[in-house]
Order: sequence, then C-alpha cells, then structure tokens
Amino acid sequence: MKSILSRRRTLLLLWAFTFPILLVAQDEKMMAPVSRTYVITNVNIIQSPGRKIDIGTVVIKNGLILAVGKKISIPSDAIVIKADSMYLYAGFIDGLSHAGIVKSKEEMNRDRPKDPGNPPPDKAGITPQNSVLEFLNPVDKSLEDLRSVGFTAAHVVPYGGMLPGRGSVILLGGSSANEMLLQPSLTFYSELTPAERVYPATVMGVMAKYRDLYRQASLTKSYETVYASNRAGLERPATDRILESFYPVIDKRMPVFFRAERVLDIQRVISLQKDLGFTLMLGDLKEGWDVINQIKTTNAKVFLSLDLPEEKKEEKKEDKTEKKEEKPKSISDLEKEALEKRKVEFTAKYTAQAGAFQKAGLKFGFSTISAKPKDIPANLRRMIAAGLSEDVALASLTTLPAEVFGLTDRLGTVDNGKIANLVISDKPYFHEKATIRYVFVDGHLFKMEVKEIKKVDPNAKPEIAGNWTLTTETPQGKSDSNLTIKKEGSGYSGKISGGRLPEPSDLQRVELTGNSLKFVYAVSMGGQAMTVTVEATVEGDTLKGTASVGQFGSFPLEGKRDPKF
Amino acid sequence: MKKITMLFLAVLSCGAFAQAQVDRGSMLIKNGTVFTITKGTLENTDVLVRDGKITQVGKNIPAPTGIKIIDASGLFVMPGIIDAHSHIALSSINEGTNAITPEVWTGDVVNPLSISIYRALAGGVTTVHAMHGSANSIGGQCETLKLRYGTVDADVLRMEDAPRTIKFALGENPTGHGRRDGQQPQSRMGVEFVIRQAFSEAKEYMATWETYNKAKLQKGFRGSPPSYNLRLETLADILKGNIIVHCHSYRADEINMLLNVCRDFGIRRIVFQHVNEGFKVAPELAAYGAMASVFSDWWSYKLEVYYSTAYNATILTRNGVTTSINSDDAELMRHLYHEAAKTQKYGGLKDDEALSLITINPARQLGIENRVGSIEAGKEADIAIFKNHPLSIYTIPVLTIVDGIVRFDREKDVDDMRLYIDPKESIDIPTFQEADHTHENCMLGAEETAQNIFDLN
Repeated sequence: MKSILSRRRTLLLLWAFTFPILLVAQDEKMMAPVSRTYVITNVNIIQSPGRKIDIGTVVIKNGLILAVGKKISIPSDAIVIKADSMYLYAGFIDGLSHAGIVKSKEEMNRDRPKDPGNPPPDKAGITPQNSVLEFLNPVDKSLEDLRSVGFTAAHVVPYGGMLPGRGSVILLGGSSANEMLLQPSLTFYSELTPAERVYPATVMGVMAKYRDLYRQASLTKSYETVYASNRAGLERPATDRILESFYPVIDKRMPVFFRAERVLDIQRVISLQKDLGFTLMLGDLKEGWDVINQIKTTNAKVFLSLDLPEEKKEEKKEDKTEKKEEKPKSISDLEKEALEKRKVEFTAKYTAQAGAFQKAGLKFGFSTISAKPKDIPANLRRMIAAGLSEDVALASLTTLPAEVFGLTDRLGTVDNGKIANLVISDKPYFHEKATIRYVFVDGHLFKMEVKEIKKVDPNAKPEIAGNWTLTTETPQGKSDSNLTIKKEGSGYSGKISGGRLPEPSDLQRVELTGNSLKFVYAVSMGGQAMTVTVEATVEGDTLKGTASVGQFGSFPLEGKRDPKF
Repeated sequence: MKKITMLFLAVLSCGAFAQAQVDRGSMLIKNGTVFTITKGTLENTDVLVRDGKITQVGKNIPAPTGIKIIDASGLFVMPGIIDAHSHIALSSINEGTNAITPEVWTGDVVNPLSISIYRALAGGVTTVHAMHGSANSIGGQCETLKLRYGTVDADVLRMEDAPRTIKFALGENPTGHGRRDGQQPQSRMGVEFVIRQAFSEAKEYMATWETYNKAKLQKGFRGSPPSYNLRLETLADILKGNIIVHCHSYRADEINMLLNVCRDFGIRRIVFQHVNEGFKVAPELAAYGAMASVFSDWWSYKLEVYYSTAYNATILTRNGVTTSINSDDAELMRHLYHEAAKTQKYGGLKDDEALSLITINPARQLGIENRVGSIEAGKEADIAIFKNHPLSIYTIPVLTIVDGIVRFDREKDVDDMRLYIDPKESIDIPTFQEADHTHENCMLGAEETAQNIFDLN
C-alpha cells in the first residue's frame, strides 16, 4: 500500500512536469494516472437513450472504453472508482462553441482604414482559411466550464466576422492543441456578422459579399479543374487562399455551418443556401419555432441554443393581496402588466423551442456558444418541462451530434471501443439535484469537487457561548482576534479583542437565529468610529461568514470555538 | 423503390423553391363611394374580390354565397396607398462604406416583424418601396413590399415579380460620406464621375464576358474565364434595362446631370426622388420620360433644399411628369392622404389627380401599375376604406385590405400588435400621477364669460 502511494507521488510529480497545464484547473482535480486503466463499478449505465444497464461496470483502458456490462472482471492494474448507484452517460457533444479558443486582443478596426470601401480581407472579417488549431489554448478556463456540466467534445470555431475560419471538433481536455483535435477542418463556419466600420458593414453587405465570393470561387475552381487536366497553353490560375477555402464547400465535401440565433437570421441564411446550394448546418438557434418547415426544406442539420431568457420570478402571494386592497390599478400598471404578460408568453416560446422541434420530427443537437455553462443543466430541465422528452434531450447531447459530425464510431454512446468520454452524476443528469462527480475526456479523469454549501438552518440550536478565535482576511493580510460570548438570560453578550483592535470592544448586539449569527461592535481607528457587522453561519464549533467594516466593504471571516471552555 | 425516392426528392426540392405561401381572400365591399382613380369616382358602388383579386366593380353586385360582406355605406373606398420612398421593415438601410454598392439588396434584410408595417397599414398604406439609403452615389437595390402584416416569413412580404429597383444618390449625402472617408466623391462633379466610371467599368465587364461566352462556343476552345463580380453584374443589369433607377436628388443642375448620364449610357427608366427643384426642370423630365417622387412640403433641412416649393407636385403634374408624393418616414407614411391633399391647397389639383399621387403614380414608378394603384377588375385587391373623404382633414382610415385580406381594422385594433417580443427587453412605462388641478386658475371664469359672450343663457 505504502509503495503504491509513493509511486503515485512520484508519478504525480513527473506528470505535473510533463503536463503542467491540466493541473491549473481550479474546481476539478485531474487525478494522477497511476495507470490509464479505470474501472467504474456499481454504476447505472445509460449507454445511449433508452439503452440502460442497472448497476454495471465500465472499464476504460488507454483512453478507450474496454468493456461495459454487468459481470466484468476488474483488471489488476485498474484504478477503481466506486460510483455506487451513480449514473453514467456518454460525454456530451457541443454543436457550436468557442471553448478553448483565444480571442485576438487586437480590437477590430479601431482605426478606420484609409479606404473603408475596400478593406483588406482580414479587416472585413473574411478569413475562411483560418483553422481553430492556431487559436486553441488547452488550459483555457472555458474548457473546464463546459466539462463541469458534462461536455467532453465540442465543435469549436474561431472568433471573427462573416467568415471566421473552419470549425473543428475537439476533445475538451488534452495537453496540447494537437492532442485535443479530433476532427479538424470539418465545417466552413459563417456568420451574418458585419465588419466594423468597413465594407461589408451591414447584414445586406455581408450577404452580397457572400454571394460574390462564392460565385467567384465556383468560377475559379472550375477553371482550375480545366487547367489541371491539361496545363499546356493555358494561363496559370491565380492562387487565392480565400477562394480556395470555398472549394470543398462547392464540392459539398464540407458543410457550411452558419450561426443563426434569431428567426430573421435563420431565414436569411436559408435564402443564401437556396441561392448558392451549399450543404447547410445551422447553429445556436433561439427562435426557430416558426420556421421549422422552412428549415426542413433545406435538409440542414440543426443545433439549438442552450441559452434561454431568464424566467421572471413569481412575486410573493402575500404582497399581491395586500396591494389589491390598497389601491386600484392605474392605466400604466395595466399596460405594464399586459407587456409583462407578453414577455412571459415569449419566454415560454423560447423554452419550448426544443419541444416544438421534437414534435415536428426535426432532429437537432445543442450548442453552447451563447449560453452560460452553469445555467445549462437548469435550462435543459426547463426545456424538458416545456415538452422536450428526456430521451431526445440526451440524444441531442450525445448520439445526434456524433452522427452529424461523423463520429459515431468514436463518440456518442457508452460502448466498447469508443473514446472514453464519460459523464458520471450522483443522480440522473436531468434531475434537479444531480451533481456531476466525474468526467472522463479521452480516458483522462476529471474529478469534480463537490462544494459543500453550508445552509442556513432556522431550526438549528448551536451553542455559541465560549471563547472563539476569529480569523479575518483583509487586503492587509490575515488577522486573528479573540471573541468571548456569554449567555445572558434569553440573549447573549460578548467582547472582542486582539487582532487590529487597539483595545477590547464590547459587542453592541448579538443575535442568533437558527444557526445564523450576527453581532455588531464599534471600533475606533485613528480617531474615527466605525461599526463592524459580522454575519456568520455556525456549525458545531466553527463559524464561517463575513465581517462588514463601514465603507471599506466586507471580508471573509472564519472562527473556531475553544473546546476547553 | 429507388426511383420513387428520387421522384419524391425531386418533388420536395421543387417545393423548396416555390414562392412563399401568400394568403388571399374574397369579399364584397358594398355600397361605398369608390375612387377607381383611373375610371372616375363611382357612388353607391360595390367591389367584388375573389382570391385576392378585384373581379368586378359595379352597382348591386349579387353576393356569391358565403362571401364576406363589408358594408361601406357612407364610406370611401380607394386603392391602397403606395409609398414610393420608404425605409420601413428593414434591418439595415445604408451600406455606406463604398461609393458604389449596387450588389447589396434591401430585400435581403426585410424585417416582417417590424411594427412600422402595421402602423403604415393604419394609414391606408398597402405597398411600400423599401429603399436603400442615400449615403452613396450608387447604393443598393431596393425591394417592393406588400404589407401582409402578420407573417414571420420575409418572403411573404415581397411583392412577387415586382421589377427590380436601385437607389442612386446625388448631392450632399454622398459627398459628405466621401469627405468623411477621404474618398471620392467629395463634390457634385465627383458624384457624376464615380457614376460614369462605374457604368464604364460595367460596360467593359459586359464586353469581356460577351467575348468569352462567344469564344466558349467555338469548338476546342481553351481559355480562362473573366472573374466574376456581383457589383459589375448588377450595374450591367441596369445598363440592360432590367433595373429601374430611383435617384435621391434635390438640385436642378444635378438632375440635368443625371439625365445626361442616363442618356449617354442608354438608361431609360429613371425616377427622381425628393427632386425639390424638379419644378425648374419639369419639361426636361417629361421629355425624357423620367418620373418624380416628391415631398408635399418638406424643405430647408439642409442647404441644398432651401430652394423649394409646395407647388412642386402640381407643377410637375401639369408638365406631364408622372409624379408621386412619398413619405421617406415611418410617421409621415401614416397620413400620406393628408400629404396628397396639400396639393389641393398648393396648386388646386383635382381629387383624382391628388389621389393619383399616392396610388397609380407611385405604382407606375415601381413598374407595378398593371397590378395595383387603382380599383379595376383584374387588379390585386389592395384597398383602403376611409370614413369621410380621404382628402379631408377629418378623414379616418377604418379598414386596410391587402390581397383581399383585412390587415387593419380600426375596430379590432388592439394595443399590442407586435409579432415577436424580446424577453430581455426592459419595460419602461412613464407613470402619470393624477394631478391636483385646484390651484390652476388660468381658466377661472372662462365658462361664465363664454356664456355671456355667446348669450347662452
């Protein structure tokens, strides 16, 4: 046992030097790979939507899934993860994202170019030759954010204007950009985003330029074919890497992946597709419910946004009844109510989009590009409550994107031979209280730290009387002070000393409600009187909270009760 | 089986390219005062509409069974108003980065969700010319829209098969942009130059392609094609007469200049927009067959529009120029009938002449006069119904009909007609507090005085 541990330490050190990058992650710990063999035991395995193994075992070796099933022998070199009664899924695949992509710091066109009508292509947002490889940072925080909600692979695209570059599918973890790259240059990524202050500065300009470039490229491409077949006596075609980037699109070997959030964007992209005839994928749809039939006619593959407008919190009922009695509603109250009602009605439409697509029989994946990762699980639950089935939701996160990106042999389900991209949560993923515990990307384990949330418990009756040592963290550093609390009748009194206090100070007020403690004291600093308010949650002999010092703000504070007392 | 699938696919793909599904309705508008515009005013007359088209205009038309009947007794029925110069329902207006941008097209950025469409309907407007702006000498192509409000589909708003049009601009707007960017044009001479240069390049482009296309037909031809250029393609389409030019202009000298440019390049179809000094060159415009779309009485908003007159529309009309009155503005568009009525004060145009300025004449300028702009059998059922005479200050639009479908009904005009709501918008309603008026005494005793003066006691 001891030897294993020390070996593990050595390996950890070694590993840390070779892959310093992955250790930087804050909320998750990448385990030291003693071995690249893992066994996850006693886990509910959802191999794909509708295909489930109750309490089974998954074996991973060298980045691949080695075995999935009920009676599986555990290899001797395996690291065992006891995922008792947890739930295991195939890692999710994001349809459109900038995860890991570094944005160029140079501000776009801050100085107006001399001839705004004829800007160089990069100023106009025309860089279709770019690839994500040039911008991929394996330690970018965005990768970790997406992993933490269950994504293990993503179709990522460069930042930019109308033609930012080619999209690639990457694994959301790896020591280098090359290692992360799974399906390079898969899509021809496009947006209707105008250039800033130069041509094309409007959406109509972008659409005209798109047609112009596409048709130019069609022409040069066909001439290149003629030239290649017999070069003698023919003018040499000019090389143009922008037009050449269109060639695989024109050949329909590469789809155009268009970002189209709003209903009008979707229609505009469809009109370009109808003019030019390319193979289309649509990403980040937010308002697609009215144009499902139009989308169907294009045979486009679709990715719906995982971003949703916030739901308005319901007002407390008590307030309402009180208001009614007070005064009748004014005209502006009524108008506001009517407008709010329509907002709510439309928020519901956004939430029901995925359900509407499901109902119309149009398959889709999901994209995170405009979503806050931490909102994603809740947004999925809202979509499910609004008509999306859990199976379709799971398929949209796993099997469908795998299929669309041509990755079914490698990703999307929990089956032997696939890349070990897995998500393990303590409850079913779509359950309100589910927490992700482990994520595997390419067979690398990311263990999610479960943050303990100390809850305010109104019924708790902690003992607070006694001597406490308080530690406050201020910009000047940590400072320790001593707190004494005495019980007096039904209340408490107390005294605080030490730390940065010139002399002991009596507490002005001590309040304990359940396990939440609040006390106030005055200090005199350089002749100036100030009030310090401490609010903390007590748990056993410890407390945790903040100390607010007048206009100086509030600082984190921790305390420990002397057990001797 | 494979064949069947292929056939099925073929049918599907044909469907994809079919025109947008436009709703068309039937109705009998009974017993109104009908301004046909082209065939006089008819009292107590019915208009029968079947599937979006006017099929009969006459007295006591028997109602086909089950048809919707609109009682227009005491009301005034006129063709839907057409605005030849508007920028509503567009997501972007000016691609002003370059002096010459004919390749862009406002039709690409039609916004069917814009509430301005409904507001225009509330003013009896049924068709608008949604134009590119006047930032550059040769701006973008424009789109003619029918106000079929209620659809999310931009294609449904397009007036199918309406002729292509394009925006040109002369004077201070394009020169101002040129000076800002340090580019041509910076003077009125410069504007003429960039337009002539553009057309000359387009002629060359056409010739190069023509040569190539001819050569390509030769047996054993080998050679490289000229490069494709959407900008020059569009200019070539203007030279071929496939696009009607609508030119933002004010001064007589530059109007003459553009007439000369058109003459030199063989461009026949030209409509001058604003054309405040049109009254100075009305005979020249008429002789060329150029048309004019003017404001009733807007002037002095910049230096080049100081020499203006509210008699402009009348003078142009009397000189035989096909003239319209436009709005160029979402608000003004809601009362174009008032704008037309002003020509009765300034110039004394007859009712039909005044109403022509906002109906059949703008239709002619957009090349859609065979379809809309008058109430005649065979035309599309775009109709506006008013309470009181539409040229009266007391007129009120009550019903607006597009393709036989009621798109505005004053009686069913609810507060919030928006089609899409942004869930992130903030709702900000000014609150008015019930003021205490007791201290206001400016009208103290007025009532009594009035009674004394008018001897009401």
